[in-house]
Amino acid sequence: MSTQKKIEQEEFEPNIIGFLCNWCSYAGADLAGTSRIQYPPNVKIIKVMCSGRVNPMYIINAFQQGADGVLVSGCHPGDCHYTHGNYLARRRIATMKKLLEFLGIESDRVRMTWVSAAEGRKYADVVREVTDDIKKLGPMTKFRREKEW
Amino acid sequence: MVENKELIKVIEETVSRDDVKYVIGYKRGTYGFQIKPAFAYSAKDAKEFFYSPLCSKNLAVYPLLEEKLPLRRGEEAEHKKIGIVVKGCDSRAIIQIIQEKGLEREDVVLIGIPCKGVIDPKKIEKRFPKQSKFVEVEENSNDEYILEIDGTNHKIPKEELLSDVCKSCEYPNPQLYDILIGDTEEEFQPEQFSRVDELEGKTIEERWEYWEKHFQNCIRCYACREACPLCYCKTCMVDLLEPQWVRRSVNLSENTAWNVMRAFHLAGRCISCGECERVCPVNIPLMELNKFVEKEVKEMFDYTAGLDTEEKPFLGSFRPDDPEDFIS
Ligand code: SF4
Ligand code: SF4
Ligand code: SF4
Ligand code: FES
Repeated sequence: MSTQKKIEQEEFEPNIIGFLCNWCSYAGADLAGTSRIQYPPNVKIIKVMCSGRVNPMYIINAFQQGADGVLVSGCHPGDCHYTHGNYLARRRIATMKKLLEFLGIESDRVRMTWVSAAEGRKYADVVREVTDDIKKLGPMTKFRREKEW
Repeated sequence: MVENKELIKVIEETVSRDDVKYVIGYKRGTYGFQIKPAFAYSAKDAKEFFYSPLCSKNLAVYPLLEEKLPLRRGEEAEHKKIGIVVKGCDSRAIIQIIQEKGLEREDVVLIGIPCKGVIDPKKIEKRFPKQSKFVEVEENSNDEYILEIDGTNHKIPKEELLSDVCKSCEYPNPQLYDILIGDTEEEFQPEQFSRVDELEGKTIEERWEYWEKHFQNCIRCYACREACPLCYCKTCMVDLLEPQWVRRSVNLSENTAWNVMRAFHLAGRCISCGECERVCPVNIPLMELNKFVEKEVKEMFDYTAGLDTEEKPFLGSFRPDDPEDFIS
């Protein structure tokens, strides 16, 4: 890798949108904070009531508005506050990831994970991994919305 | 081959039933290879009905367009059936709609037609452009289409005009019907929908290049949606203003969002009739998206749309052991 390219890659700070469910993952992220675990600041969190609330079009919309990656995180299977929201989300995200890959958009830009309220450490690890992954993939500009007035 | 005489007789009988409001079928168009939907309200309307390999349209869209006016006080809703002529894929569309509770089984009388495959209007139009009169097309037993234009007879190998989806059709026979016209087609080994495999063989950059080029062309006419029997949402998400999921401007970003949305909403619902692709004015290969999703849904979740009215909708159900190797 040329030095120039390397510098560019190092400088690229990805913009990642994280949809975290209110009952587990958001609390997990909170725990990571209160436990003072260090992790990259690239994930911008949007709290949703349940991972099942994440319409796969949110992901497309995030990409349109300048996100380089999207993280969807919910309670572990069986633990969803609404009993099966995360199972529904799992099917949807699985299908959307396949569709994106087929269109020529790296499916690794969409990451799904289960983080419980007790897993502050896991949340920090996930954020670190996603940030690294997206850094490697570079900016996502394939169908970004053009600048508006 | 379906005898038109027999078809007309069945339509007459059906529309004369007391519990049937009207019957939807096909009639000849005014020019070229265009066919039109026909509506019979009484036995005398049945005369113009016909069936030929040109009847590619999926009539399953019509029962859902039925306007339901508000009832006056004390007035009872009319419970009358609608008769529809269905091919294999059309019958699956109806099954899927019933599964989603868009229609009740009692709402429809299905007149099944075992299908030998339909002609892609774009292909035949290209071959014989600008016909000012309606042209009859028939199929013979040698897998050829026969047509007569200005006194000249043409024989064309079926292969050349057949709609691409029909080559890989797994269910040419109606999967749900009340009356069946003619004999069921023999089971045949459908081809793979090879265009999907071809694309999958390409690199990720090549794939995006391919779709970018196509999505750029989309004029957002929504013909694909209008022709689709399963795009029957009262308000389509793309038309919503509050929230506005997809902006109205026609550019790569919004067009991509629209096309992803359409393909995704049909996951586990599309029954591969091919209408969307046949009606797209800018030839976006929409069936490649649909067929790809269909394949993945089958592989990952062992789910096929439009076969069982009692099945749960794909995106509204789950199994605890659904694959989750992508989650960590
Ligand atoms: S029919 Fe074709 S051009 Fe029209 S909205 Fe659909 S994909 Fe776009
Ligand atoms: S998406 Fe296309 S092929 Fe699938 S049901 Fe709708 S019109 Fe038919
Ligand atoms: S694109 Fe989606 S929201 Fe619009 S009509 Fe089709 S299924 Fe409904
Ligand atoms: S509440 Fe956490 S995934 Fe449903």
